Amino acid sequence: MIKILRRLTAVCFLLLFISPVVAAADAHTEQESVIDVVGKVSNHDYFELPLGNKLYLPRILLAGGDWFYFSSTKKAVESGLFIESETGLVMADGTAITLDMSITSHLIYVWFGFILTFFITLWAARRYKRGIGTSTEPRGAWHNIFEVLFVFIRDDIAKEFIPHDKFKKFVPYLFTIFMAIAFMNLFGLLPWAAAATANLTVTATLAVITFVLTQINGTKDHWEHVFMFPGVPGWSRFILTPVEFLGLFTKPFALAIRLFANMLSGKIMIVSILGLIFIFTDLFGAFIGIGSGVFWVLLTAALYFLKALVALIQAYVFTLLSAVFIGMAAEEHHHDHDETSVAHAQDVHL
Amino acid sequence: MGFLAAGLGAGIIALGAGIGIGMIGKSATESIARQPEAAGDIRGAMLLTAVFIEGVALIGAIVCLLLALGVGQ
Repeated sequence: MIKILRRLTAVCFLLLFISPVVAAADAHTEQESVIDVVGKVSNHDYFELPLGNKLYLPRILLAGGDWFYFSSTKKAVESGLFIESETGLVMADGTAITLDMSITSHLIYVWFGFILTFFITLWAARRYKRGIGTSTEPRGAWHNIFEVLFVFIRDDIAKEFIPHDKFKKFVPYLFTIFMAIAFMNLFGLLPWAAAATANLTVTATLAVITFVLTQINGTKDHWEHVFMFPGVPGWSRFILTPVEFLGLFTKPFALAIRLFANMLSGKIMIVSILGLIFIFTDLFGAFIGIGSGVFWVLLTAALYFLKALVALIQAYVFTLLSAVFIGMAAEEHHHDHDETSVAHAQDVHL
Repeated sequence: MGFLAAGLGAGIIALGAGIGIGMIGKSATESIARQPEAAGDIRGAMLLTAVFIEGVALIGAIVCLLLALGVGQ
C-alpha cells in the first residue's frame, strides 16, 4: 500500500516537471523597479526560485469545450490560441476560459505542505512500528518533536473539545491540518516563497473540509439545535432558526477568513515597512532614508519573529476551532430544558 | 468616500477588538494570579475567546478592505 502511494507521488512529480521552463527573471526596466507589494503574496503562474530564477508552471485550461495543455503561459500565447488580457488569458477570439485548472505557485506550496506532513507521519509511524517510542523512549530530536506535537494535538485539542467516545476518529484529521497549515505558513517566511494560506481559496477549501466533517458527524441533537431549538417559546423560533442556520455557514467562513487575513497581512506588513526606507529617501533625501533604514530593518527583524509565532499560532487556532466545531456537533446533549439556555450561552460562536 | 469609510471602520474595529481582548487579558491574568495552578486551562480558554473576537474584527477588516478597493461600485 505504502509502496503504491510512494510510486504514485513520484509519478505525479515527474508529470509535473515534464517540461520545466526555468528562466532568469526578466530584466527590470526603469518603470518596473517599484516594489510589487501584493505580488509578493499573490498567486502566480511561475514558481519563484532563489536568486531570481523562475520555474514556469504548466497551464491546464478548459475553453470553448476543449482542454488545452501548455507548459507555460508563454507557450500558450505563442501557440496563437490564447492571448493575454488584463484579467489573464483569454482565447484568441475573445471567449473567456471556462475552467482554469492551471498549476500555480500556491498550489505547489499546498502540495509541499501536505506531502511533507505525509512523509513525516509515515516516517514516525515506521519508527513506532519498530518499537522505538512504544517499547523504548523516542530517540532523536525529530522523533521527540513529532511526539510532542502529536500528543499536544491529541490531548490538548482533540480530547478536550470532542466527546471522549469519539475523539480518536478525528485525531488524524486534526494532526494533518495542523502540520500542513504550519508548514504552509512557515514557507511564507522564506524570502522568495509565498504562504499558500494567504490565498482565500486554499483556506476556504480547508474550511469546507472541516464544515463537511462537522455536518457528517452531527448528531440528532446538533440538528435539533439548528432547526427546533428546545426549551424556548414557540414564536422565538422564527428568529432563532434562521440565525442558527446562518451560524452553520458563518463558522467555516470565519475560519477561512481568519487564517487568510492573518497570513496575508504578515508579508504585506514586512514589505510595507521595508518600503518606508524608499519613501523616506524620496521625501527627505538619501541621508535620512539610509539612516532611518537601520530602524526599519530592526523593526522588520522583530516582525519576522512575530510572523513565525503567528504562523504556528494560526495553525493551532485553525485546528482548535475545527475541533471545537466538530465537538459541538458530535456532542450528545443530556440536559433538561432548563439548562438549554446555559448550554447555548457556551455555544456562542464566531 | 470609500477611503473615509474604510479608515473610520478600521479604527472602530481596532477600538472594539482592543477593548474585548483587553478585557479577556485582564480577567485571565487576574484569575491566574488567584489560582496559579489553573494557569494552563485559563490560558486555553483565553486564547479561544480571543480568537472569536479576532474573527469578528477580521471580518470587519475585510469589509474595510473591500470599501477601500471600491469593490461593488
